[in-house]
Amino acid sequence: MFGYYFRLGVRSLRRNPALTALMVLTLAVGVAASVSTLTILHMMSSDPIPQKSSRLFVPLIDNGPVEGYTPGEDPEDIQISYKDALNLLKGGQGVRRTALYGVSAPVQPPRADIQPFNLTGLAPTRDFFAMFDVPFLHGQAWTEQDDARGADVVVLSREIAEKLYGDADPVGQRIALMGFPFTIVGVIDNWMPLPRFYRLNGGVRYGAGEEFFIPLATSIRHEVTHNGSMSCSSNAGAGFAARLASECTWITVWFETASAGDRAELQTWLDNYAADQRKLGRLKRNAQNRLYDVPEWLVYTKVVGKDSKLQTWLAFGFLALCLVNTIGLLLAKFSVRAAEIGVRRALGASRAEIFRQFLIETSVVGLVGGVLGLVLAFGALALIGMQGKQTAAVAHMDWQMLILTFVISVGAAILAGLLPTWRACQVTPAIQLKSQ
Amino acid sequence: MEIRPILSALLRSKTGPILVALQVALSLAILANAAHIVNERRAVAARPSGLSDEHAAFYITVRNLANDTPEQQLANIKRQTAVLRTVGGVKSVANVSQMPLSRNGSNSSVAVDPRQDKPSATASTYVSGDSLVQTFGLKLVEGRDFLPPELLDVNGETTSDPPPQVILTKPLADKLWPNQSAIGKTMYFGTGKDARGTQVVGVVEALMSAHGEVGERGDHSVIIPARLYGSEPVILYAIRTEPGQRDRVMKEAEDALRKSSATPMITKMKTVDEDRKDRYRADVALQWMLVTVSVLLLLITASGIVGMASLWVTQRRKQIGVRRALGAKKTDILRYFIAENFMITSAGVFGGVALGLALNQLLVSKLEMARLPAGYLVFGALGFWLLGVLAAYGPAWRAASISPATATRSV
Repeated sequence: MFGYYFRLGVRSLRRNPALTALMVLTLAVGVAASVSTLTILHMMSSDPIPQKSSRLFVPLIDNGPVEGYTPGEDPEDIQISYKDALNLLKGGQGVRRTALYGVSAPVQPPRADIQPFNLTGLAPTRDFFAMFDVPFLHGQAWTEQDDARGADVVVLSREIAEKLYGDADPVGQRIALMGFPFTIVGVIDNWMPLPRFYRLNGGVRYGAGEEFFIPLATSIRHEVTHNGSMSCSSNAGAGFAARLASECTWITVWFETASAGDRAELQTWLDNYAADQRKLGRLKRNAQNRLYDVPEWLVYTKVVGKDSKLQTWLAFGFLALCLVNTIGLLLAKFSVRAAEIGVRRALGASRAEIFRQFLIETSVVGLVGGVLGLVLAFGALALIGMQGKQTAAVAHMDWQMLILTFVISVGAAILAGLLPTWRACQVTPAIQLKSQ
Repeated sequence: MEIRPILSALLRSKTGPILVALQVALSLAILANAAHIVNERRAVAARPSGLSDEHAAFYITVRNLANDTPEQQLANIKRQTAVLRTVGGVKSVANVSQMPLSRNGSNSSVAVDPRQDKPSATASTYVSGDSLVQTFGLKLVEGRDFLPPELLDVNGETTSDPPPQVILTKPLADKLWPNQSAIGKTMYFGTGKDARGTQVVGVVEALMSAHGEVGERGDHSVIIPARLYGSEPVILYAIRTEPGQRDRVMKEAEDALRKSSATPMITKMKTVDEDRKDRYRADVALQWMLVTVSVLLLLITASGIVGMASLWVTQRRKQIGVRRALGAKKTDILRYFIAENFMITSAGVFGGVALGLALNQLLVSKLEMARLPAGYLVFGALGFWLLGVLAAYGPAWRAASISPATATRSV
């Protein structure tokens, strides 16, 4: 019977074309609005490194002044000072650890036909690449000795390597960065986690990859200023050396542990470290030392903007309205078919059969509305994607969202169809037949 | 006109009217909140930057590839400023640390008293060795601009103390010294033993912060008279041109700078208009989304009302015919349907006001949005009453046009 009801449903689409078109369109618009906003929210809040997000931790150590401090308040910044970063690196906790900050540097291309330009990237330590599963196209990460010496070595992004050297493998070549010759040790393949969770300071959190990487020690040696934000609770003094010695926060540290369970151990170590620093008189506040894994970090740093949430909520409100509208339209559509139902009931169809028939019919409407909604959603996402690089990165539909769209649209249609279908079942055959 | 029969007819078949009322309620709730948010964002994006002519302003950043000594860099800054001033159509040039709305710049906490526990405000710091009052075309409301000897050359590598004079924006001055003149007062950068005092010599009407924050912080800026060199490899020049000549000047300014330099350099240019657009891109996108949803909302609600009203007219053809045959005039029928619809819409409107307030409460508590002024709900309610009447008018007119003879023929 399912196939037959399904064919009936398709047929009935054509019976009142205006009413059906309105119904399908209403459903499609509602689905498109909610799905496109939900897709963006989903892409923004999805786990950027699912395979190890519970084993990667950011520490936050509050080094603010004790004046004006209310116990329990959040630290001013989501970064830590250079002093703390170095100490945490030296502590050797976890299986891997890195400290990083955003940098930018001018590059003088080896080819005369390209004007000098600015690269933006990252100054981490060697472990960064393994910790965040950065794929290499050529070469590999720099060595621990490079980290220790602050060697002039650089890892380029695929895009920059192709721009400068074409398809050739540039590993081993020299390139002039900031006026100094750097040796290229590796080229990474396309890599752009959404969001850029490993470095959330500064404005851009989506749609920006790193163009180059140099060792943290090298960057410090060349006195490369941070490309991102820095927060100082007191006058840092003049010059780069003063900044390194100051309590200004501008560095992010990451730990990788062997298992998620090693977190307690790391926390204890961190607490001991902070207690030592407090004894030395460096840390003034008696604040809690925090440790965040990746999902917690994204929540704490409020990566998903309020505007995205607002849009999703309103879009679902809109979908609710579309549903109410569809219920009304379905009622109207079914009410004119009371006679037909009367005949079917009189010929022996049970209420359950009628219920099934009309529910399948509404599902057909939902299906058509869903497909149209999906098309509209793709259009809406393309339109949103044109707004800029940042939004383009998150305005992509993945298979999860495709399935969800399907479920939402058919589910919505069935939900909308329940009341009209139930009403259709209540038709008493005798009255209907009498009036014919 | 009797309301009772309409009401009892409505109560006999509740589903349809409830659905229409629900639609009106949902639309009103969403629409009122959406309109409020759109207006709020528009107001945020329309805030003045303080620049007298934004369309004629742009900036150019220069990074010299030679690793200059601080002294060489200072000489370069002075030379490049002079070069830019010679370009035809340029009205004013200033070497400055940051641009309003560029989302790239520094803040400093400021205090009235260094012994305060917490700073009084956070101010966006514009460090410039030239007159920003002239280059940005700022409006001085009190005090004076910096005198030429007050514009110092400061090596950022060796000095971190602020110069002895500063200019504040009016909102910042009012926040620090409410109901008093700020001129001659001492303001401190930071608090505690590191706090450094400086004297306020002027107050400008407005200069938006580099990040253009929403709320009072966006209006809190301080101008520091220093030509900073030695600490930043990238030098920024703000330029104001004759009205309408910006695009031509931009091209010529870059060429002039390139020609004047023996070493290769990286330059980047951006207009204040572009910065404004980028800063408010998300707000504009949200506005578009909300406006689109609102328009669709209205269309769908209107179509819902029309659809349901048409259905009722069809269902009641015979009754209408009987009423007409018994002496009801066309206007009576018209009035009946309009009144019926008005009652349904009213129920929806009252529900919508409650739902709108509830939705706003949710937005306030979960997303820290602003509270909804009553005006939006009042206007929304009036709008939906009007929409309901208009949408019902067509079907009602058709009902009134039913001739009693044809309508009652099959009875």
